Amino acid sequence: MMFRTRLLLIFAVAVAAAVGSVELVVSGRARQAFENMEARRVNAIVAQFDKEFRRRGDEIVRTVEGIAASTTAAEIAISPDPEKYSLEGGALAATNRLDLLELVAGDGAIVSSAQWPARFSYKEEWLPSEPDWPSRPAFLKREELPDAVTLALVAVRTAAVGDMKLYVAGGRVLDSEFIASLVPPQGMRVLLYRNLAPAFAPAELIDASGPIASATLLRPLVEQVEKQGSDGLRTIGRGASAETFHALPLKGRENDVLGVLLIGSTRRDLVELEASMLRTAVVVAVSGILMAIVLSWWATARITRPVQRLAESAGRVAAGDWGATVEVASKDEIGQLARAFNRMTHELVEQRERLVQAERVAAWRELARRLAHELKNPLFPLQITVENMQRARDKFPEQFDEVFREGTSTLLAELSNLKQIIGRFSDFAKMPAPEIQPVNFNELVTETMRLFEAQLSKARISASVRPDPKLPLVHADAEQMTRVLRNLVLNAVDAMPQGGTLTVRTIAMGAGVRLEVSDTGQGLTPEECERLFTPYYTTKTHGTGLGLAIVQSVVSDHKGRIAVESEKGKGTTFRIDLG
Amino acid sequence: MAAGAATRPHYGGTLRVEMHQAPPSPEVFGVPQGFVLTSWEAGRRAVFAADENAPGGRPFLDAVEIQMARSLRDQSVDLELGKADIVELSPAELRRQMAGRKVWSSSPVRLMALAFGPRIADARVREALALAVDRTAIHSVLLQKQGEISGALLPQWLTGYAFLFGAAADVARAQSLVAGLSPADRTLSLAAEDAANRGIADRIQLNARDAHLMVSVVPSSGIADVRLVEARIAFADAPHALASVAVAFGLPEPPAARSPEEQYAAERALLDGFRVIPLFHLPDVYGAGPRVQGGPVISPLGEWRFDSLWVEDRP
Repeated sequence: MMFRTRLLLIFAVAVAAAVGSVELVVSGRARQAFENMEARRVNAIVAQFDKEFRRRGDEIVRTVEGIAASTTAAEIAISPDPEKYSLEGGALAATNRLDLLELVAGDGAIVSSAQWPARFSYKEEWLPSEPDWPSRPAFLKREELPDAVTLALVAVRTAAVGDMKLYVAGGRVLDSEFIASLVPPQGMRVLLYRNLAPAFAPAELIDASGPIASATLLRPLVEQVEKQGSDGLRTIGRGASAETFHALPLKGRENDVLGVLLIGSTRRDLVELEASMLRTAVVVAVSGILMAIVLSWWATARITRPVQRLAESAGRVAAGDWGATVEVASKDEIGQLARAFNRMTHELVEQRERLVQAERVAAWRELARRLAHELKNPLFPLQITVENMQRARDKFPEQFDEVFREGTSTLLAELSNLKQIIGRFSDFAKMPAPEIQPVNFNELVTETMRLFEAQLSKARISASVRPDPKLPLVHADAEQMTRVLRNLVLNAVDAMPQGGTLTVRTIAMGAGVRLEVSDTGQGLTPEECERLFTPYYTTKTHGTGLGLAIVQSVVSDHKGRIAVESEKGKGTTFRIDLG
Repeated sequence: MAAGAATRPHYGGTLRVEMHQAPPSPEVFGVPQGFVLTSWEAGRRAVFAADENAPGGRPFLDAVEIQMARSLRDQSVDLELGKADIVELSPAELRRQMAGRKVWSSSPVRLMALAFGPRIADARVREALALAVDRTAIHSVLLQKQGEISGALLPQWLTGYAFLFGAAADVARAQSLVAGLSPADRTLSLAAEDAANRGIADRIQLNARDAHLMVSVVPSSGIADVRLVEARIAFADAPHALASVAVAFGLPEPPAARSPEEQYAAERALLDGFRVIPLFHLPDVYGAGPRVQGGPVISPLGEWRFDSLWVEDRP
């Protein structure tokens, strides 16, 4: 991936991440604000419920106190024949607009019951057990009716005349009408579950208009509050139709949960707000990304142009143009990098020149040393021969002719040797440019090896030629490549003075070829391998050390590669890759 | 002067009587002594005129006009408003009667009882219901202590042995009787034939619940497993009275008894199996408006006695 593309991606991701983060933070804050607002609204509803609950309780207390203080209650309390008043409860309840009213004798026996007239004479044991009814506020009570059970807000007061006592227990049913008196804010609703049955009863979950549909959805919350006796919270449904319910237990006189007040708050506003924020965030993110692409295209162009120039210059350096430089247009890190690059190429050029000069000096020294060595060998017999001829003419004139004849013969031979040495040096210096043409390397190898058959046989070397039948034609100078192969074969012959096996094979390498020449000779050390292609370097006692240098020169002129692999005592393999 | 005049009977006037029953024919209703039937509108109205040739002499009243099928409450209202002269009084109305108003009651001549239908085949259920009913509370409160608590078909005043039939509630025993029964077997419906007795039916339902019986009170027009019914004791001699009661409740005809012991045994035999559970023996109770003078309007056996009444319109 291009650096510029990568930068573009980074910019785009950064913008998207920034917008996403902002959206998350804003969304979280909005949710928090919504929750806080909802909590306040729930508290307001609960306060309203408490207030209404107290108001109604106080109203019932006042009404019941009025009944207890009436002469009728006093008459019943002192009457030796309370059966006469079995219908009074209903009449008093109707007069005082109470849903429930029981007149109970001091021993707990019901004198009259408005809500269940047939219950006269039954005992209400809980009434005499409470010693201080006058100070008790109204409380929730589970009230059994002839055909149902209901939840009621009840107050109890006593009418006492002397030792005689009459309990007046009156109240009102907590039903839809009570729920209707609570006015929740928009988006909220109030439900009441009357815990009247042993198990959850959907019909007992009511709102202002009666039992609600889908009451079973709230069953887990109601049961949780009933079980724990503390507030509960649960969200019902999903998406915009979701509704969060806060549930509060309504406890009776003995702290038992007789009802559950549920305050439902729709999540529609929050969901719509979040959706709106999400839409805005998406629009902002897309706009931001597009803007980021445009800006980053411009910015990355500014950033990557010098880098691109640097890369191009580095490529030119790699291609051999060591004098390549980069224009420095800024003082930032890229500018510093460009200046460092220019300094580096300048140093490279200088070092290369110094190295070339040093190598040139070293080459001349090596050449001089080699020349001196090569020339010294034939010069010494020349000097001896000339001195013998001088000594023979001075001291043994009779033998001079013979000595002269032998001496001139030796001189001519050594001069021929000198001439040959000088010719080889001349050949290396005059290495011609290759004449490229399609070459069949299999044929080249076969024909060259045929020339060496006698020499190899004499040296007790068995030759193995393995041409690759799929070898393609390669553009090369056939004569120079023949010279390369000849040099490698001669090198191998020299490496196997005791005889051995010479293997030459060709291998197809895609569009190119590989030429391998292996011997089973004495092998080379790693150090010898490193210096093997240095001109005038040789591991042999004879030779100019130019053979492998010529091989490398030819291969290099053909844009090929040569490598050597050798193990001491086991042999050496030369590999040439062309094409 | 007016008070003196009020004490002296005089002839003339029409007596307006209301009742909640609606006898199907004049024969069932019975023609009052000293009067003759002049008009009969079945289920609604009957008019009797004074018989000029009555054996005991002409009654004071010229006529008696009887409105039938009037609810007890309507009767009470009509009496208050002066639209009726003589009405039946329910126990509840009896409580509200103003001081000084004439009230006549007969001997306990009506038997109130629970009569089981054929569906309740298990005698334990019937006996449990008999033991569950708290007759004392009903008698004290709903009946305002009128009549008598009874476990017998015939009243004490007629036989002298009615007290031998147990009438006390025993909820624990009732519970043990139905303990092994399934809820379906313990469920039964109850209908009060007379709507005025609905309160008693409700109380019986409540008592039954204490005994683990599930009783539902249904309208009298519907089918019920057990009915709260009344039967009139129409005879002053026990054998005939027992026979008529047995017929009224669909019980087998009792054998003719020649002694009180046989009479007791016959009645005991009728009650074995708890097909009928006697609850109370009740009197007929009537109240009279201020126009009505003389009386009483009924005999101890609950027969009409209009011939002893006269009416007096006060200025």
